[in-house]
Amino acid sequence: MVPVLLDLITTAAILYIVSSGLLLVFGVMKLINFAHGGLMTLGGYAAVMATAMGLNPWIGIPLAAIFGGIVGLGMERVVVRSLYNRPLDAILATWGLSIIIGQIITLVFDRGVHFAEPPIRGVINILGEPYSTYRLILTALALLLGLGLTAALRGTSLGLSTRAVIMNEDLARGLGINSGLVRSITFTLGSGLAAVAGALITPLSSVDPNMGVAWLISAFMLVLVSGSSLFSLAVASVVLGGAQVVVSNYFGSVLGGMTIAVLAAVILRIRPQGFSYE
Amino acid sequence: MKEPMKKISVLLAITALWAGSAVAEDHPIVLGIPVGLSGANSVVAPSVIQATELAVSEINDTGGLLNRKLVVEVADDASGAAGAQKAYDSLVFQKKVDAIIAMETTAARNAGLPIITRGQIPYIYTSFYEGASCNKYQHIDAWVPQQMVSLMVDYFMKDHGAKTFFLVGSDYAFGRGLLGDTNKYIAEKGGTLVGEEYNPMDATDWTAIVSKIRATNPDAIITSTAAGAPNVTFTKQLRSAGITANYGSYALDEGTAKTLGPDAEGIYLGGTYYTGIESEKNAQFLKALHAKFGEKTETPNELSVPQYDAVHLYALAVKNAGTTDTDAVVKALSEVTFDGPRGPVKMSKQRHAPLTMYLAQVNAQGDTKIIKSYANVDPGEQCPKL
Amino acid sequence: MSNANVNELGSSSLQRPQVRPLTRMMIVASIALIGVGAAPFFMDAYSVNVLVRSMIYAAIALSVDILWGYLGVLTFGQSAFFAVGAYATALVFTYGGFSAEYAFAALLIGIAVAVALAGLVAFLAFWHGASALYASVITLVLPIIVTQLLFSGGTYTGSSSGLTGFDTIPLSSEAWFWAVGVWLVVLTTVAWMYTRSDAGRLLTAIRENEQRCKYLGLNTSNIKAVIFLICAAIGAIAGWMYANYTMVVAPEIAGFTFGTELLIWVALGGRGTLFGPVIGTIIIDYASAHLQGDFPFVWKLAIGIVFVSVIVALPRGILPLVSNAANWLRGRIGIAQPQQYSQLQLRQASRSGRNIIGFESRGPALVVRGVEKRFGSLEVLSGIDFEATYGEIVSLVGPNGAGKTTLMTCIADGSKRSGGRISIAGHDIAHRPPEECVRLGVGRKFQMANVFDSLTVGECLQIARARLDPLSKWQKSGVCNLPPSAMHVVRATGLHSDLNVPAQVLSHGKKQALELAMVLALEPKVVLLDEPTAGLTKAERTLIGTILTELARTEQLCILLVEHDLDFVREISSRVIVLHQGRIVLNGSVDEVVNSELVKSVYAGSGH
Repeated sequence: MVPVLLDLITTAAILYIVSSGLLLVFGVMKLINFAHGGLMTLGGYAAVMATAMGLNPWIGIPLAAIFGGIVGLGMERVVVRSLYNRPLDAILATWGLSIIIGQIITLVFDRGVHFAEPPIRGVINILGEPYSTYRLILTALALLLGLGLTAALRGTSLGLSTRAVIMNEDLARGLGINSGLVRSITFTLGSGLAAVAGALITPLSSVDPNMGVAWLISAFMLVLVSGSSLFSLAVASVVLGGAQVVVSNYFGSVLGGMTIAVLAAVILRIRPQGFSYE
Repeated sequence: MKEPMKKISVLLAITALWAGSAVAEDHPIVLGIPVGLSGANSVVAPSVIQATELAVSEINDTGGLLNRKLVVEVADDASGAAGAQKAYDSLVFQKKVDAIIAMETTAARNAGLPIITRGQIPYIYTSFYEGASCNKYQHIDAWVPQQMVSLMVDYFMKDHGAKTFFLVGSDYAFGRGLLGDTNKYIAEKGGTLVGEEYNPMDATDWTAIVSKIRATNPDAIITSTAAGAPNVTFTKQLRSAGITANYGSYALDEGTAKTLGPDAEGIYLGGTYYTGIESEKNAQFLKALHAKFGEKTETPNELSVPQYDAVHLYALAVKNAGTTDTDAVVKALSEVTFDGPRGPVKMSKQRHAPLTMYLAQVNAQGDTKIIKSYANVDPGEQCPKL
Repeated sequence: MSNANVNELGSSSLQRPQVRPLTRMMIVASIALIGVGAAPFFMDAYSVNVLVRSMIYAAIALSVDILWGYLGVLTFGQSAFFAVGAYATALVFTYGGFSAEYAFAALLIGIAVAVALAGLVAFLAFWHGASALYASVITLVLPIIVTQLLFSGGTYTGSSSGLTGFDTIPLSSEAWFWAVGVWLVVLTTVAWMYTRSDAGRLLTAIRENEQRCKYLGLNTSNIKAVIFLICAAIGAIAGWMYANYTMVVAPEIAGFTFGTELLIWVALGGRGTLFGPVIGTIIIDYASAHLQGDFPFVWKLAIGIVFVSVIVALPRGILPLVSNAANWLRGRIGIAQPQQYSQLQLRQASRSGRNIIGFESRGPALVVRGVEKRFGSLEVLSGIDFEATYGEIVSLVGPNGAGKTTLMTCIADGSKRSGGRISIAGHDIAHRPPEECVRLGVGRKFQMANVFDSLTVGECLQIARARLDPLSKWQKSGVCNLPPSAMHVVRATGLHSDLNVPAQVLSHGKKQALELAMVLALEPKVVLLDEPTAGLTKAERTLIGTILTELARTEQLCILLVEHDLDFVREISSRVIVLHQGRIVLNGSVDEVVNSELVKSVYAGSGH
């Protein structure tokens, strides 16, 4: 029972890390960034580059944030900005951007799997069960990320502006908040978080030009059932991620692989606002 | 690291030049090479093309075939069925090739075979696969499950006293087929299966399966995960959970093992080709490959060497038959033997080949070392009707 | 008004003889058919082979275009229906062997399964309150599930390797080329006729403004579902052809990647143009067959870049760009054809009587009892009680935020209020969605003029009548039957001379009038008007006021009006209700309200 419980918690943590950037963008901009997967891939390759340069593997994470942030800012300026009023087109355009990122990575590196040194190896004993140290560290990081983002949203003036835009953009603009700037910063931050997530999962994942895309659908579904709340996302990650672990354990991995998508679709049908309490 | 792309374009340019210059001569014999230049197989495609090029230039340097030059036409199959149809159509009906030699996925082969049937040309398939693919124009010079299964299971049972096994695969025909055979073989030999789990091809999360492995604590794990990402994600997640049971993989190759770093240490691999094979033929082959491609040499592997063998086998068959006529060549292909880097290959057993099988292990440096070899392993009943 | 039909020709009606669009389409289709017939004689076997597949893909792209380009449903899942058709065929032939009967059975099974699956998807995706994004999400989940099912079918479905080696309809490549080519031309022609027909314009109306459609009494969820099922069937037929022609099926044809590739083709060709996606698919698929082998990654990169650029800069795709260029060129060399709108005739409708209530029914037209509306803990309306009878014009006044528009919404959409009862002409609206409230006799005009911008005035009116006069599914009928009230508004405001003008170019005043006419075309008993005079000139306001009082008198309509302009209220109202902070503070005659200190303080207090 203990291992399943640990699997459940760590899976939820990984999903939370992977989805939080997407949630931020969806919350503020009300659009789905389908380049999220491509940005994760970019982060994975940041870790590969850190390894290739012989740096400490932990350095790969800020490197990923910088890569993702810069690319995200560029995408927002050139493409996403003109699609604020066309949310469905924004999905397609960001999907196109994801294709572009993937192909550029393929051209620069190659189609193959690359090696990134994991920051930490081995297991530690939890309640008598040996368990992956790295997964436990990811859980701690997910908690820190959630608390950090919440604190940033609540404690800083930019966070206040962002929350105002989330709640009512027209009103926020009327109050003199530069919503364009808030959007730019949010997209940059969301993209940076995506890349960080990509770098963080390299010890558990293959690093290849498609690595992020496999995570996209799960992240997307989690965000849809969470609305724009970081807390709802945590709940959704635990419930849906937990369901995935349980289904995979007792009903097979194939069904497990579909769990998040199917459950999220059903939840949204029954309760369109999903896990958000508004 | 733009090499692969450049390499491909250079190769294509060479191919085109050859094709162009050959028009002036007596018309050349054209080999069609459908391969996944894009998609999943694009990782191995460059090595497959190099192996093909090497074999073709060796044959041309010794006077060609029937006094004609041998040239190749490469077509991208995008590593899938739809792409393969386009590639085969193009090769058979537009480029009008004399034969097709293909390292591809099963889906791509299945998509291509009807076109081969319509076009009526000899066809050699050079990738290991789940077995029992039968077409009157087809030969196969790579391994099938019957040749692989006993290798790994016997070793774990005899040398490590393994009694309990856990099988893990990607959910696709090859993964299921191979592990199904393994399952039966383990039962035959008196072993116990404590788990058999499949994950979807595109899955990235192995948490539940790794948990089950930990819970059942098997003596040995045997995997047949899909090439590329699934191999890597499973191995990383298994190792991060601190599981150290014997781990044998049907699907991991030397190159991918390297990219896994320390996580790959100790993994057992099975196959017909490793660069470490100590034979004169292999030494010659490696030397020739490096001489031809220099720094840009792709590490030869389980998928590229059978391709090299197949080109030579085709050349021998054409020489024996004295013609490129389809029926004569197909008949001769079952009769000729090529002694290549993998040892002697003769596709005499119902269009399949008895092969020398090797068991290898990855060491701490990420290098793959051969620990056992078994000569002339029989492919069993594959196409009794042919 | 007399019973005689009144012919109204649009002012832009053309004097010059013209090739009619239908004739022109028939000529284009004939040329395409001749091209299909002749092409195999001029092409090598390879091109024929590739083009057969490209044309099959073009057929599914066409179905994607109908859903996305016309109906506005962004679908990622059309590949799933294609796969259903293809796998049904492959499974029947693999396990049953080939025969003509089995081929036919496979087609029917494929269509049936695809339609059933589409029904499930439609049930999940299209319902009152479902967002466009949610529908897309469901279509995204569909191919993922279908792919997993195909994988987990093991040897039965061939798992990742798919199925092959089954016998299929024995036709040569050329024969397939002709068969698929003819089918594609016919399909495109039918789709063209449908999308240009009166009913086809409805798809555009739903895409542009689904809410307005619902408030015109149209069950848009059902309409979407039906179109979705038809497109699923088209996908299944294409899949059947694909399996028959290629003799192989693999799970990748079901996947999300193929689903998005279809969207890319449609986007590049030009969504909502039918021809664009068809031609675009054929060109891109044919080109990629030639180029992908030589430049695998660069080709895909180029497609990605072009795709993003088109979405951002040319949302209508490349075809409209080409046809605009052609028009421009024609203009330069002097054979310009003026933009052509079909002509429309207005006729007076006989009373349709399809509304649930009879004309004779008596008693109050509208009864509101204890209505409440809360958003979370915020109480927007509470304890709203009033009645209104036929022939009455009741004005709702009150400062901003008093809950006037919310009250309107609660009357027009049974699912909105938090408590209380509302009945229209004696019928409880219960929790009926807006389209059913319309059937009870509610007509609602929104605050901002809410018409279909890209449709013509005439088309807007036709769609407003769609509930009562079923639209032609294959042609432009050229006729719109309007009840006397709507006809009166159209004539009085001069809209009858703008019938063929796109609604978006109308002046603000005329848009307001058009929406009013659309609402009246529903033959409502209770008309809800949210600031019908906002932004109108003095003259227009007077005109609307006169019309409303006339309508109330002659048609015995019950009109509920939200107004800020107290002069206007005074002129036309028979009664005034004052709302303040979600409660009725006064309900009385115009004079009572105008002279009330309470009302003055309410307005003064809120800064008005």
